[in-house]
Amino acid sequence: MQQQGSKSGSEMEVTWDDQQNINIFSRLNNRVHDLDDDIKSAKEKCENLEDAGNELILADEEMVRFQIGEVFAHVPRDDVETKIEEMKEATCKSLEKLEQEKESIVTQMAALKKVLYAKFKDSINLEED
Amino acid sequence: MSSSSPSGSGSDLTERRGIPAAKFIQDVETYLSQSGLDPNSALAFHQERLQQYKVVEMKLLAQQRDLQAKIPDIEKCLEVVATLEAKKGTGEALLADFEVSEGIYSRACIEDTDSVCLWLGANVMLEYSCEEASALLKNNLENAKASLEVLVADLQFLRDQVTVTQVTIARVYNWDVHQRRVKQVTPTAIAVADS
Repeated sequence: MQQQGSKSGSEMEVTWDDQQNINIFSRLNNRVHDLDDDIKSAKEKCENLEDAGNELILADEEMVRFQIGEVFAHVPRDDVETKIEEMKEATCKSLEKLEQEKESIVTQMAALKKVLYAKFKDSINLEED
Repeated sequence: MSSSSPSGSGSDLTERRGIPAAKFIQDVETYLSQSGLDPNSALAFHQERLQQYKVVEMKLLAQQRDLQAKIPDIEKCLEVVATLEAKKGTGEALLADFEVSEGIYSRACIEDTDSVCLWLGANVMLEYSCEEASALLKNNLENAKASLEVLVADLQFLRDQVTVTQVTIARVYNWDVHQRRVKQVTPTAIAVADS
């Protein structure tokens, strides 16, 4: 009977500390999903800027139309080149930051997983479906 | 997290911006006898709570999406004002192609300008000097970012409550199953002993 009880998890005592660990884990898990989205869009933006920069090198017009807000302003090509370079740098930097944050969260989650699995064994499931 | 309270009240907060905190249950049996609920009605109560939390989560997520869309819009406006300001004094006009109607573009020539008109909403548009417009937009941007921050914190709090409630439901359920098993095993054990 004892064994059966511990198997179903009902004999397992859940403390406030355990609950907090579970909360933190769930929070981190949510954050990772948000980060994945942000990383994806930052990567896309970076690629688009890269493409735009390459196209610009091939273009032989002196003035190019550069979108600012809703309108396409006529801007000298050299200015646009520097502008795109700046934008690319900023995007790549934020992409790096996001990836670093994700890495640190993934390590935190792995540590929490160890703690929670050690306590609850297979009574808890922390994997994604 | 050092705030583990022996009373099992769960968190130092009992609510946040109208969202009630979920109570952490130290011991299922004591909780049920103290609240005078049988397992089924306790489960029903927590399920209902969970549904309510989910409704609030939907609302907050919608607000978050709105704000997240608003911030880049304001940034775009700031960029345009900055472009106009940069052109000021150079004597050059800014040539721009703009959309008149969907798919139809026309060309505008914007001469040296000191002011822009900002659409304030509610059918009101006001003319501002470039400096004023940029200050106003920056202020709006700060406000939007600040409310987004509060909203994210709200969502985090809410999700913690959801997790607590889910764990509680699982524990009450498991406890109930365990109790039933104990009750079932005892009579058969006696029956076996009898035969």
